Amino acid sequence: MNSQGRGQTRPLRWAILVFAPPLAVWLSGCGPGLRRRPAPSTGLGPEARQEPALSGDGRLLASLVERDGRTTVLLQERLSGRVIPLRQLQRHQPHSSPSLSWNGRYLALLVQRGTRRLAVVEDRATGRLHPLPLPGDLEPQRLSLSSDGQRLALQLVQAGQRRVDLFDLSGLLEPDRAPGQRLGGSAPEGAGGAAGP
Amino acid sequence: MTRRGRAAAAAACLLAAAALAGCAPPLRPLGPLSQVLQQAGVNHAPSLSGRWLALISGRQGREQVLMIHLQSRRPVPLPGLNRPDAQPVSVSVDDAGEQLALVRQLDGRTELALYRRSTQSLQRLPIDPPGVPQQVALSADGRVLAVQVSRGGLWGVDLIELP
Repeated sequence: MNSQGRGQTRPLRWAILVFAPPLAVWLSGCGPGLRRRPAPSTGLGPEARQEPALSGDGRLLASLVERDGRTTVLLQERLSGRVIPLRQLQRHQPHSSPSLSWNGRYLALLVQRGTRRLAVVEDRATGRLHPLPLPGDLEPQRLSLSSDGQRLALQLVQAGQRRVDLFDLSGLLEPDRAPGQRLGGSAPEGAGGAAGP
Repeated sequence: MTRRGRAAAAAACLLAAAALAGCAPPLRPLGPLSQVLQQAGVNHAPSLSGRWLALISGRQGREQVLMIHLQSRRPVPLPGLNRPDAQPVSVSVDDAGEQLALVRQLDGRTELALYRRSTQSLQRLPIDPPGVPQQVALSADGRVLAVQVSRGGLWGVDLIELP
């Protein structure tokens, strides 16, 4: 290759060096800035963990683990792995479908009460456990607590038919809102995103 | 014991029994929203955040992701998200209603994806190390994903920080 040919290939090399890494990231489907962390250890080595739920601010992680052969909810700080004790949820296993409010004040989940499943909310600020019984023969299968703790969505089964219903908890629980959030509003002030329908 | 004393004792017993049983008045569904949900079809896998309810709704043998604005009680369009050949498994929405995290089955495999409503774009998120996702939870601030993943027959949880 002569000197002129080498001069022509130099810009090509620069282009490859500059554009190849972001192109590879884009092609891999990761997108820029995606970071992965393993879930914090439960302190008992590798063990099964299911049904994760995050607090609205992402600080806390709730998940289901096996404790003495019983499926039990475990609450941890996401980054440090520190286990946060749940005073009211040592019994009534198996637990399922945990869901956390914005700051993690409320942990809603399904517990076993006799032969039936029951939705409950533990208020970590007061230490109270709020049972949420359902009318008639409705059986809860899964739940989702709104980030402010004011509404609950329940997947129910009645006479073999599955459905989702919404329930108002505003008369039972104080709001657990994001810092700076407007009273009566849902999105933090100044929050971006597609807030409207 | 007098009649008034007996009545007071009976009332006290009833209150104590109710407290031990964890008695509370039964929950009442939010009527108008429940009607909207029943009309949508057979629903499951709800995710509630801010003013939004995302769920999987089935009608005539086909399931799709539905997102309902709670104040207007109307579903919002999700162009580019639902496909007739895809089976949604789990869905989670953030507080702003901007991002939807999704596990779905497509072409015989199960994949994790993130849908952004403002750009109507769906981004596949690879599972690394490889595994089969089952359930997803998005933090309400839209910054962290927790995914239940099966690897070698063991369920675990992956945490993914979003930009």
